[in-house]
Amino acid sequence: MIQFILMVNKQGQTRLSSYYNWLSMSNRVALESECIRRCLSRSELQCSFLEFRGYKITYRRYASLFFIVGTDGEEENELGMLEFIHTLVETLDKYFESVCELDIMFNLEKAHFILDEMVMNGMVVETNKANILRPILLLQREAGKDDSIFK
Amino acid sequence: MSIKLRDLIRSVRSCKTAAEERSVISRESAMIRTAIREEADQFRHRNVAKLLFMHMLGYPTHFGQLECLKLIASPHFPEKRIGYLGLMLLLSEEADVLMLATNSLKNDLNHSNQFIVGLALCTIGNLATPDMSRDLATEVDKHLRSGSPYIRKKAALAMSRCLTKCPDMVEDFVERIVSLLKDRSHGVLITAVQLMSCVCTIDPEIGKSSFIRLVPSLVRLLRNLLSMGYSPEHDVSGISDPFLQVHLLRLMTVLGEGNEEASEQMNDILAQVATNTETAKNAGNAILYECVQCIMTVESEEGLRVLAINILGRFLLNRDNNIRYVALNTLGKVVLQDSAAVQRHRNTIVDCLKDPDVSIRTRALDLIFKLVNPDNVEGLTAELLNYLIVCQAESKPEICTRTLEVVDKYSPNEKWRVDTLITLLTIAGKDCDDRVLSASSTYIASSSDGVKAYAVHKLVKAMRDDDGTQEGLLIVAIWCIGEFGDMLLQTYTSDNGVSYQALEALSVISEVEGVIKQVTCTDAIRQRALTCFAKLTERFTHCDAGVIQKLRVLVKKFTVSINLELQIRACEYSNLISEGGSGKGSLARMPVVDPKVAGKKSLRGSMSSGGMDIGAIANSTVPVGAAPAQQVSGDLLDLLDLGGPPAPAAAPAAIQTTTTQAAPPTQTTDADLLSDIFAAPMPSAQPNVPAAMPPAAAPPAAGGDLLGDMFGGTPAPLAPVAQAPAPVVMPPAAPVVDMFAPQPAAPISSPGGTPAPVANPTFTAFSKENLTIEFETKKEDLSSQSCEVVATFKNSGSADMTGMNFQVAVPKYITMEMLPPSGTTVPGSGAGTLSQVVKVSNTQMGTKKLMMKLKISYTCAGAKVEEMATASGFPVGY
Repeated sequence: MIQFILMVNKQGQTRLSSYYNWLSMSNRVALESECIRRCLSRSELQCSFLEFRGYKITYRRYASLFFIVGTDGEEENELGMLEFIHTLVETLDKYFESVCELDIMFNLEKAHFILDEMVMNGMVVETNKANILRPILLLQREAGKDDSIFK
Repeated sequence: MSIKLRDLIRSVRSCKTAAEERSVISRESAMIRTAIREEADQFRHRNVAKLLFMHMLGYPTHFGQLECLKLIASPHFPEKRIGYLGLMLLLSEEADVLMLATNSLKNDLNHSNQFIVGLALCTIGNLATPDMSRDLATEVDKHLRSGSPYIRKKAALAMSRCLTKCPDMVEDFVERIVSLLKDRSHGVLITAVQLMSCVCTIDPEIGKSSFIRLVPSLVRLLRNLLSMGYSPEHDVSGISDPFLQVHLLRLMTVLGEGNEEASEQMNDILAQVATNTETAKNAGNAILYECVQCIMTVESEEGLRVLAINILGRFLLNRDNNIRYVALNTLGKVVLQDSAAVQRHRNTIVDCLKDPDVSIRTRALDLIFKLVNPDNVEGLTAELLNYLIVCQAESKPEICTRTLEVVDKYSPNEKWRVDTLITLLTIAGKDCDDRVLSASSTYIASSSDGVKAYAVHKLVKAMRDDDGTQEGLLIVAIWCIGEFGDMLLQTYTSDNGVSYQALEALSVISEVEGVIKQVTCTDAIRQRALTCFAKLTERFTHCDAGVIQKLRVLVKKFTVSINLELQIRACEYSNLISEGGSGKGSLARMPVVDPKVAGKKSLRGSMSSGGMDIGAIANSTVPVGAAPAQQVSGDLLDLLDLGGPPAPAAAPAAIQTTTTQAAPPTQTTDADLLSDIFAAPMPSAQPNVPAAMPPAAAPPAAGGDLLGDMFGGTPAPLAPVAQAPAPVVMPPAAPVVDMFAPQPAAPISSPGGTPAPVANPTFTAFSKENLTIEFETKKEDLSSQSCEVVATFKNSGSADMTGMNFQVAVPKYITMEMLPPSGTTVPGSGAGTLSQVVKVSNTQMGTKKLMMKLKISYTCAGAKVEEMATASGFPVGY
């Protein structure tokens, strides 16, 4: 099961975090900083998996942003998780039209809505980009003005 | 005035320092709190959105929880959506307010708009508590048969949450789940398959028996995926829906494990997946990886297993590190089933130890430890030792311990074993734990004389070459020199031509002296060195008087050491080895320790080989009595040294159950605890405090509220660490006393005379003027945290004490329940007593001690008396 999904930039600033098992705030902060510290210390050639604190971390770097997924147990298919991260990024990319760090940051809630269409309770809901974005885009069109509530 | 979320993000981004950011956030928090208080409806969603951002940055947001609840009850979709998002991100499953959301969730589940239903299902899936699951499971179930795949897939995962939280419901819903597999939507299929795997984890029996008949359907699904050809909807780099394929294979793995028939049905499709999957891209490799795991777990055909192992072998040679990582990972899982096949890849695996990537190295190391067998132990151990030199410091202790296990299990002969351990110590002496030291010493001591001589020569050489940092090596070396120093005086030549020159007695001594002169030398090494010098007087008896004299001087030097332990031992040893000292025999060689017995003991983290030497003493010629017991303590201490640091002189404290090693932590935690509770400086505990010292009564507080004042500025009394009186006459003998305590049958009566542990220890908790309060502690089971304290009030005066009011306060880690007293009057002239039972439970038993603050008030001869005191004299283990 997926325990958490993080998007962290090279400076170690979290841009999005979603935990599927409650962690206290202090634990989250410590975990996030340790995660990114370890990811940063690895080179491009090294593998995308890490083990620490009982989690298996699968991460992938896109430009300055790290997409980090923490899973528990032996069961998870690491390569599958890597592919899932890629699907997530492609979906965000499709929605935001060549996504960048700031898109996610300034549209935090939208990124979360997309993520919620893909992952629920640490399990995969949908991996088809069109299916993920269809309700999101529909709702956005319907609400029309819904952007206004965040502005 | 409320600012926009975008503006908040901008202003946080423009902060140059963390302090600046904190102040921006705290200003905004205050604004949001005000808005919440003023019920500013129009800003509610915006405020929650801001809280999401602040939460992500790691700031507290608990005050916004109720706002989320208000939002989800809103009729407007955008507000509802933000409300649910806030609920999922800001609330933990334990939050009390979550209960209030149940009703809104129920309403939304029955809403006509599928997106609102979807939101509710998503929230249930992420957040449902057991209570909510029970309440909402039927509603969720209804949506499993919804007309829209969007709802069905979310309902499936919401159901998995409900069943995980309430495993007893599995039986009711399992049949509904089965029908989901007929769905055409891949989204529903992938969630349904995950739900089934989840059920199999929750309740393997029901899950497997219900789903086993689905194996043909699963196989058909997988075959359809394979033969589907290109479908743009599900294509991921040329493979149709790899995610679904992986999850199907995972479920098949679970179902096929231990089931011949199901495995038989899978054989063909597994072979097809294993041979036909395109491996140019990551997606294909993910499927292949899952397929290999499936083949190795289910009862598949022999040919298929060979194919799977070969795929792993191919993975292992792949240039992509990710693929190599999973190959090592999987080989680690299958090595126990098919060791021979994995052994074929041994060289490649060993090469992975040299990889620059730590993840790969860790996996490879793990695998190598599993690969070791009697045939390859020498080669693989050599590789492990090589790796030990270059690996990160943080993984060294573990490697040492695991190498020790390998050596324990497979060593071909004792010389190799001793050789390996010495090399291990030379490389990682400062990182390995006490078990390695203990094992090295016992193995050397139990080997034949030839090997002993070889070992001690080798150790002296290693010690000479070391820069004084490999503590473990130095400890073992010095111990061995002390034990077998006489062997150093002879030349050693082995069968295969290795030879060591004989050493002069004086040069041996100066080697050890050189070690303790180094600045990096620790007390642990000095302790061993001191014992070593004492023992060498016995080993070098045939040398000239100068040598012995030199040793005496060296021991004497320690009598002024600032380390109390060293000073004490040095005084004892000086006596023992002086002219006409009575030490003959007590410094003789140690009896051989049975590694198995010692291993068991040290695993318990207790006094290592300490247990067996009781027998050794009983057999020795030393007359049993107080003084010899003290002398033998040298050797006892020595034995203890193998297992860990010797007990400090404060050990008498640990009379009843604690071992010598456990003693120091006990003491420190006491200090912690006291300083925790009392905000006042406390005098440091002294080694030989008369243990039964009555607790000093705290000065009466100025009549204020008891609990308020209780932990205020009262000076902490010197805490008597143990309850049982142990008037220690000679502190040095303490460890001996200590050691015998758990063995009541031991023939030696120690000077102090340790009372055997009493069933219900009793001590005086309070005594002032005429009132004495005694505590009797009862415990049904020594390991349980709870115990009963019976307070007995005694009045030695003539006047009655009336209106007795007894109050107790305890630190947070203790829970307490007071039962009513047997009365409120303590009659005078010893005409009777009063008792009251206090039930306590120490949640940190073992680390912190039980303690109480007492407040007693009563009226005696017309005068009102109020007293406060601390009761901390509870016996160890309470």
